[in-house]
Amino acid sequence: MTRILLVEDNEMNRDMLSRRLQRKGYEVTMAVDGRQGVDMARSGRYDLILMDMSLPEIDGWEATRQLRAAPETRAVPIIALTAHAMAGDRDKALEAGCNDYDTKPIELPRLLGKIEALLPGQP
Amino acid sequence: MTTGPLSRDALAELRHELRTPVNHIVGYAEMLLEDAADPVFAARRGQLEAALAGARDALALINATLAPTRSDIGEDEVRQLYASLREPRDRISSAITTLLATPDARRDTALGDDLRRILSAAERLGGPGAPRPAATNAPEQPAPTPHAAPATPPAASGNGGSDHPEQRQARILVVDDVADNREVLRRRLEREGHAVETAEHGRRALDLVAQRPYDLVLLDVLMPELDGYAVLDALKGNAATRDIPVIMLSALDELPGIVRCIEHGAEDYLHKPFDPVLLRARINASLEKKRLRDQEVEYLQQVSRVTAAATAVEAGSYRPGALSEVAARADELGHLARVFDTMVAQVRAREERLRDRVRDLRQEIEWARRDSKEFALALDGGNLKTGDHFAQRYEILAVLGRGGMGTVYRARDLELEEEVAIKTLRPEFVSDINLLMRFKDEIRLARRLSDPNIVRTHDFGEWSGVCFLTMEYVEGITVRELIDTRGRLGVSSALAIGSQLAHSLAVAHEHGVIHRDIKPQNMLLDDLGVLKVMDFGVARLAERSTSITEAGLVVGTPAYMPPEQLMAEAVDARSDLYAAGVVLYECLTGQPPFQASSVMTLVAKLLTEQPRPPMEVNPEVPPAFSALVLRLLAKKPEDRVQTGRELEQRLQSLG
Repeated sequence: MTRILLVEDNEMNRDMLSRRLQRKGYEVTMAVDGRQGVDMARSGRYDLILMDMSLPEIDGWEATRQLRAAPETRAVPIIALTAHAMAGDRDKALEAGCNDYDTKPIELPRLLGKIEALLPGQP
Repeated sequence: MTTGPLSRDALAELRHELRTPVNHIVGYAEMLLEDAADPVFAARRGQLEAALAGARDALALINATLAPTRSDIGEDEVRQLYASLREPRDRISSAITTLLATPDARRDTALGDDLRRILSAAERLGGPGAPRPAATNAPEQPAPTPHAAPATPPAASGNGGSDHPEQRQARILVVDDVADNREVLRRRLEREGHAVETAEHGRRALDLVAQRPYDLVLLDVLMPELDGYAVLDALKGNAATRDIPVIMLSALDELPGIVRCIEHGAEDYLHKPFDPVLLRARINASLEKKRLRDQEVEYLQQVSRVTAAATAVEAGSYRPGALSEVAARADELGHLARVFDTMVAQVRAREERLRDRVRDLRQEIEWARRDSKEFALALDGGNLKTGDHFAQRYEILAVLGRGGMGTVYRARDLELEEEVAIKTLRPEFVSDINLLMRFKDEIRLARRLSDPNIVRTHDFGEWSGVCFLTMEYVEGITVRELIDTRGRLGVSSALAIGSQLAHSLAVAHEHGVIHRDIKPQNMLLDDLGVLKVMDFGVARLAERSTSITEAGLVVGTPAYMPPEQLMAEAVDARSDLYAAGVVLYECLTGQPPFQASSVMTLVAKLLTEQPRPPMEVNPEVPPAFSALVLRLLAKKPEDRVQTGRELEQRLQSLG
């Protein structure tokens, strides 16, 4: 089963997105801030990480940089989730090491398309 | 008020702020629709689809107004947007509120929670300047004119008003003995959109009012038989009609009459012939005041429902969802009701978890009992034997056990016809008169403890030179026996034991009773998995001889004693918590935290060494549980969990 780590501080977003992904057959684990996200990503095996960019403790940009610097998480695909559809955000996310990028509010079919594009098989 | 266009950032922020709740609504509604695929849920699907349609309409409005390509959006347009979002928002709220009131939503707390999430998301569509229901601030406000009236809260409150205050239709009763006057008023008021009925004299007016509720009464002062003052007094003297506003009508424009009406409770006063503008203004003002009063009454009723719910929660009889009507409110009270429901749901979930733990524990107990027939104690030990009568009141049924302090028997209390446990005390414990006095004080305190997790102490007595205690007899096995037969216990069983032990300590400590001798031998489990801690207060007797500063260590083993007790320093509630830590350690690992071949080496280890974390001994122990046990075993009392209550809460939040 495909394992996704969802790093998101907004409770309702976390609840909804995790449940909708679980319904699609993904195994979803959650972290509530950037530090926890990095710790969990390092200690567990995940196939993909969904990373909110505005997070407490350390933000998504920094968390992504740390994950890219660590050998055990260097190769895990990361999709950045940002609140603002700012032109610069996309480049910034890719520059920090994200593989793709989606804006909130999340539209599930669009996000699923991006997840599937980054993963070799189906859930 | 109008200012320049919004900045790009502010616009993006606003778009996000509005689209996020819409997306939450869509997401949850779609999930619930998937759940409701079965045809029996057709009604539920209908409401969910209505909410979904509302959310999609809202999204279309947001996207159209706040298109990223636009750079000229001003505050007026934003206000306009919020106003137009009210309609789809109300549709969503009303569909969801309807669903929340269904038995399904009350039974199924997960469904109820998701519906409340949708409702709270819908609320956020109101934006920062969202009109709050007027009820909370109504008393301080002067009656606003209808055009400035605050919007009614979503989902019509059901007291006769329509959703549009400026066009509100009211039921008005016109009372006048002159037919022409009645007709003029009727026509004028009907043109304003009100429903009008008339009465030609006072008695008829009172009959009509008794039959149906009116929003307003226009009452002529001078009438034959029962005049306006008498009707006014009758209306205001009756609790059922007291709150209907009354405007007095009189041909006489004289001050004493006006004063008299106001004193008798009339809302206002108009004199004939009526100025149409003044008439309309005063009627609308009265209706507005009534509407606010109704809202206030409704609000107060809902407050008392929340209060009643609080009582019900305390009594354990609260049904989640019982406040759904209040929870649909957009104001603080609604928030409170929603918090309440969530809280109760959490408590339920916790109880559920506790039940699971106890179920596991009962399973362990059953296995242990099956394996341990040999635990039946030899009956030859005590001075008393089966069939003996003791203290002219008790018939000895069996020997239950023998400890350092004396022997415990199962006996029948012949006076009260019930089984009790009797603990006889060895003479050396009761020879010191001062100690005996202290012990009696302690027993007096312990007798006050009444709790399902504490074995009740009945009495202290002396017979034929033997001092004894009687207490509640509990059919069960000790945690000692459980660990000895089963080895280490499952994590959930350990949690069930730990939280009940913590509870008993919390109760005892809050009554000023320190146990001083918590150990698995003193902890009984009945067949239902209820833990009963015994010997509260009893250890006081043994105190003198337990510290290592005196020779002997007569009673028991020091394994459960914290450093301060071993060193005969001040013992307090935290010493019991240390012992609870040792018990939990044993439950989780099947072994005590320190092991040694002699008492002196054991004491040395207790004073100086750190125990191995339980999770190292048993990898199934969750890290948080392991850390909690280590904290209980801290050498210094101030480093431990400080109270039984705190330990109880921490254990409940684990797992």
